[in-house]
Amino acid sequence: MSFQVGSIDRTFRDELEMACNVDLDQCWECGKCTGGCTTAHNMDYTPRKIIQLIRIGAVKTLMSCNTPWVCVSCRLCVDRCPAGIDIPRIMDYLREKSLAIKDHGPGVDDIILFHKLLLEEVYKRGRVSETALALKFNMQTGQYFKDAGLGQKLLRKGKISPFSSKVRDLNKVRSFFKQEPDRREV
Amino acid sequence: MKGKARKALVVGGGMAGLEAALKIGQAGHEVILVEKEANLGGTALLLSSTFPKWQDPLEKLNLKLEQLKKLPAVEVYTNTEISSCTPNGSGYSLTLRNNLTGEETGVEAQAAVLATGFDYFDARKYGEYGYGTYPGVMISIEFEEMLREWKKGLKREKAPGAVAFIKCVGSRDRIKGYPYCSKICCMYTARQAGMFKELFPQASCYIFYMDYRAAGKDYEEFVRSVMEEKEVRYVRGRPAKVLPYGGKLMVRSEDTLMGVPIEVEVDLVVLAAAAVPKKETLELAKSFAAATNQHGFLEPVDGFTAKAGTRVFFAGGCGFPTDSAGAQQQGAAAAAEVIALFNQD
Repeated sequence: MSFQVGSIDRTFRDELEMACNVDLDQCWECGKCTGGCTTAHNMDYTPRKIIQLIRIGAVKTLMSCNTPWVCVSCRLCVDRCPAGIDIPRIMDYLREKSLAIKDHGPGVDDIILFHKLLLEEVYKRGRVSETALALKFNMQTGQYFKDAGLGQKLLRKGKISPFSSKVRDLNKVRSFFKQEPDRREV
Repeated sequence: MKGKARKALVVGGGMAGLEAALKIGQAGHEVILVEKEANLGGTALLLSSTFPKWQDPLEKLNLKLEQLKKLPAVEVYTNTEISSCTPNGSGYSLTLRNNLTGEETGVEAQAAVLATGFDYFDARKYGEYGYGTYPGVMISIEFEEMLREWKKGLKREKAPGAVAFIKCVGSRDRIKGYPYCSKICCMYTARQAGMFKELFPQASCYIFYMDYRAAGKDYEEFVRSVMEEKEVRYVRGRPAKVLPYGGKLMVRSEDTLMGVPIEVEVDLVVLAAAAVPKKETLELAKSFAAATNQHGFLEPVDGFTAKAGTRVFFAGGCGFPTDSAGAQQQGAAAAAEVIALFNQD
């Protein structure tokens, strides 16, 4: 069946536009966001397509695609966008919304796990210990020997350390979490 | 006062100004035609070809100049600018200054036609395209000079193997440029790319576009012929970055029809910089009390097509970017309004 343009539900779009302070009508679909995107080659929908998916109300696709999780919020797209659309803010919003979904599929679930582990590290020590993070992530995703060879090399060269230190004022870092307790979960 | 010869000032000797001066002169009035540059012709002097017919722009220009010579009542001042203008009720008292000699001449005119043309957006505002940083990045009017030389058979050995044209540089950009469409870039880019491929059929040629706008008599056919016969590749997407790449340039964009990020290696990047009003036009508009829009283009008033104030009219690119044919039509329209005004005086 063809896509029914006449029955597009604007609810999701309206809420998103309000929350992100963007006007998607201003998008020219020029693709300048995507052309400059540092991670577009890993996305299943490019930033321009994400805007279009929001416009056509394809909420299911938006919630399960990997794009928001691949976006690193480098903000090149905002710098380039001739309409000034804050795409990273939209990605943030999509991440928040899609967390309610339990099973995104292996690709996205792993990315979300990585986000969670990273934030846990930050909460625990105030900074990220690459060794601990990589170990935890590889263990929990069943990739027991991944990075083992590289890890040894890095260790020998002193690029990573098996010991992880805390920041001096841990509570200050934790206060960021307290402001938005929801994110503690993320 | 019907039938009495009166005097009009025309500022700018491009296609629009020339046509206005000719028509007012041919209607039996005196004309003072003021041109800042050494030669009459304006932008037409810089172009390698016309469109939609591939003709030498100088052919039409020379025709106009010949007609002008037959009108002794049209006084031409080249290398000259307006140094002062005072409205005097029935017209303007003006001082013209010759930029070479510094000589000043006082004149009176009962109407003025501003035909000062347009300028180009400063493409350096787009850091991502590297204009002013990478020698291989230029704006269209600079590329036009290369085309003219190649056409004469000069410097052909230095011709690039691949060229990328980027449209909408400063146009249709609410953040770094202007919200409006500059109107002329689609057609002159097609013409430049077509001319380049005509001269160097082996070379590659890409045009990055958001839309191609070819609304005009024979315009669509012209653009299609550039795609089909000259084999210029149109890519739908606005490039995000031009970067140096082993002595060449790499253009990064999205092919928005395919939905994939793409890269293309070229020797030269030509930016279709937005057409913007000249600073001088804004000053002139003030001294002639002519209406302008929010961007500084002259604006018609009172339901006229070429009237911007009590006795001031306009034609060509200073009203909004237009091609040579449009400039000529507007020049004729401005002349008609001046003649009608003189006839009512």
